[in-house]
Amino acid sequence: MEHTNDHYHPPGLQHQFEDMKQQEESASIGMWVFLVQEIMFFGGLFTVYLVFRSRYPMAFAAASNHLDALWGFINTLVLIVSSLTMALAVYYAQKSNRNMQVIMIILTMIFGTAFLGVKAIEYTDKYNHGLVPFSNWNKKTPPGGEHKADNSGFVLPFETRAEAAGGKNEKPYINPTGTFQWHDEEGDKIILEARKKGYLTDAEKIGYFTNGELDNEKVRGKVQIFYWIYFTMTGLHALHMIVGLGIMTWLLIMAWRGTFSAEYYSPVEMSGLFWHFVYIFWIFLFPLLYLLGRHFLH
Amino acid sequence: MQNVDAINAGNFEEPKTNYLNNGYTLKSWLLTKDHKRIAIMYLLTISFFFLMGGVYAALIRLELLTPQSDLLESGTYNRVFTQHGIIMVFFFLIPSIPAMLGNFLLPIMIGAKDLAFPRINLLSLYIYWIGAALALFAMMQGGVDTGWTFYTPYSTTFSNGYVMATGLGIFINGFSSILTGLNFIVTIHTMRAPGMTWFRMPLFVWAHYATSLVMILGTPVVAITILLLALERVARIGIFDPAIGGDPILFQHLFWFYSHPAVYIMILPGMGVISELISNFSRKKIFGYEFIAFSSIAIAVFGFLVWGHHMFVSGQSIYAGLVFSFLTMVVAVPSAIKVFNWSATLYKGQISYDTPMLYALFFIGLFLIGGLTGLFLGSIGLTVHLTDTYFIVAHFHYVMVGGQVLAYLGGIHYWWSKMTGKLYSEFWGKISAMLIFVGFNLTFFPQFILGYMGMPRRYASYPAELQVLNIFSTAGASILGIGLILPVIYLTYSVFFGEKASANPYMHPGLEWRTSSPPPTENFEETPIVTWEAYEFGEESGLDLEEARKELAKV
Repeated sequence: MEHTNDHYHPPGLQHQFEDMKQQEESASIGMWVFLVQEIMFFGGLFTVYLVFRSRYPMAFAAASNHLDALWGFINTLVLIVSSLTMALAVYYAQKSNRNMQVIMIILTMIFGTAFLGVKAIEYTDKYNHGLVPFSNWNKKTPPGGEHKADNSGFVLPFETRAEAAGGKNEKPYINPTGTFQWHDEEGDKIILEARKKGYLTDAEKIGYFTNGELDNEKVRGKVQIFYWIYFTMTGLHALHMIVGLGIMTWLLIMAWRGTFSAEYYSPVEMSGLFWHFVYIFWIFLFPLLYLLGRHFLH
Repeated sequence: MQNVDAINAGNFEEPKTNYLNNGYTLKSWLLTKDHKRIAIMYLLTISFFFLMGGVYAALIRLELLTPQSDLLESGTYNRVFTQHGIIMVFFFLIPSIPAMLGNFLLPIMIGAKDLAFPRINLLSLYIYWIGAALALFAMMQGGVDTGWTFYTPYSTTFSNGYVMATGLGIFINGFSSILTGLNFIVTIHTMRAPGMTWFRMPLFVWAHYATSLVMILGTPVVAITILLLALERVARIGIFDPAIGGDPILFQHLFWFYSHPAVYIMILPGMGVISELISNFSRKKIFGYEFIAFSSIAIAVFGFLVWGHHMFVSGQSIYAGLVFSFLTMVVAVPSAIKVFNWSATLYKGQISYDTPMLYALFFIGLFLIGGLTGLFLGSIGLTVHLTDTYFIVAHFHYVMVGGQVLAYLGGIHYWWSKMTGKLYSEFWGKISAMLIFVGFNLTFFPQFILGYMGMPRRYASYPAELQVLNIFSTAGASILGIGLILPVIYLTYSVFFGEKASANPYMHPGLEWRTSSPPPTENFEETPIVTWEAYEFGEESGLDLEEARKELAKV
């Protein structure tokens, strides 16, 4: 494109637009439409979650009790703070304050990375305990090297260590091929009690029992569905965090060069929208996966 | 805006550079941000896939010439009809009009220099190419045999085909249509020229707005569904697996939540093209502009509420079936509104039977049959008899081929002079349009009867008493094939040897006819200011089209 225009050409204005206002409006609508698309994308997953949760609430509660709620809580805090620093980055971009912009972006990146680090710790824990629902993707425990129950986990402020350990009460087992494992006597007891009181859903009445006896293998299938959904949802969320960190890196370079000012800051604002979206997604994930149904077991 | 008298006289002074001669290197095409060049690259790719899907269709028809499975054995036949479906649906029909005609025309029709996000537009083309390459790779390796619907648990646990590669190709390809839809929505909101109000936009643009809504809201759901399917295939276990308490019907719900609205991605843009053709070739303002515009939106909205009618016999609750059946009847109303309005537009119009208009008239007839047989299938009692028979095959081919493909061809012919600056042979255009119409009906009408007699779809063999109708169908397919190859020949010929087209060869008032053929890279020399309503043939349009026509006739 030749630039023969006599009038003032603002920085960052692309050739297809008449002025900055049009460009900003387009970017903003575009980003929101993209987020709508994202909501539909994850909407499919939430539908899957709701369908199976309403079918097998007991198995889901027992399974979610093996997630570490404290790590989840810490991660939620980390993301809330990162959302604040991101909002501040936008604010300082609008104020043309380069230094504070850079600091805020770096802080956001640190919190984002911290989140992923915690996620890695949690995933490792699931791998060690045979809770990865994919065929043979767990730690292989050969005969002789029996897996011991691990009671050293974190405890939520409102529960005692013994209570928290109750959920994690695992029988020693061997797992030579790395298959999915499920041993939870506490959970089994509660299912039996719920049957006595008539709390079980129709799907559960046939989903947990064989000839009227609690069938561990059948329960394991339902728990496996929970962990399948857990890994898919948190995995896709983590993927979005990684993409977000990539965007932040680009933003950092641009901000370092002093690209953004009160006149041109829409990339910061749009990246911010994406970051907040990913954070809000987690705000839904945390209670659904970690908290819902904990009271069944405590 | 261009000189009105010049347009009227039909001898437009051409700018030195247009979008076609603005750079000849491969790089200037592959790295272009010009929506018109991207549209041309889409045209080439889409045509390739159309040809490929056509070859598979030919194989199917040849196999069904005889009652025995002799040309192809059953396993191969499964792969052939699956590939036909996947290519035609995901790589031809869905991108056909939006990515090609829409990409080319939408910015011009609203007086913009380009789409709002030219780079994202190019990205969507590359994403389409990557997805297509993956699907092609899978095809070379032996393809898939699940049917284009990938029903679980067959596709996740038992099928030996390349489900992962094909699924991944479709997953990636989905983002191409999401980005196209996003681009269109933003462009329509923010890039309209001064004076181009929402109700002055051509109905083609309205139809694309509705299509984009479906693309944005539907495609992500199928993307996640295919992702879940792929994960389950890797893990060999998962949420659709009945062995551990998973639910295969859930897959069908998720799949059809997109794939039914996708049917409207495949017909709404066609309806937009037809609105243009009917109004312009009747030389009359379209009847009920607002009704047609809002019926597009209504189709997009109601289209999301009827997916269950694909599952009447697959274990869905009968009460859900009743609701879905009712909503299916409701979604037929906006389509009927369109057909009535088109017919009313024809009334007392000065109709000329140019090639594009032939396609438009054929469209109305065929879409009517396709739509009405859809009501048969939507009624919960009759559908039990007709499900998975050739009746359904005939029904959706009447809508998809008789609807979208005809609209696509009509649109390509109509705007060919704008895209290439050349005129095609009107004689051959009409011949091929009529061949397509005859061939199409001969192919698919017998299939209604076959289906009603109980011939199931997706089988390589059938009882001997059904052979006569199948021979009709195959014979029709050969005529249809010739009719579809002809345009490739004479359109290509016209690019090199065709007569030069003027800026406005048909004397139509739309904005796209108020710039040179082919248009310059920035579409208009100056941003146009719109003071007229859509389809304005009177003096209010700023063009004295009738006078100019008379002048032309004298010459």
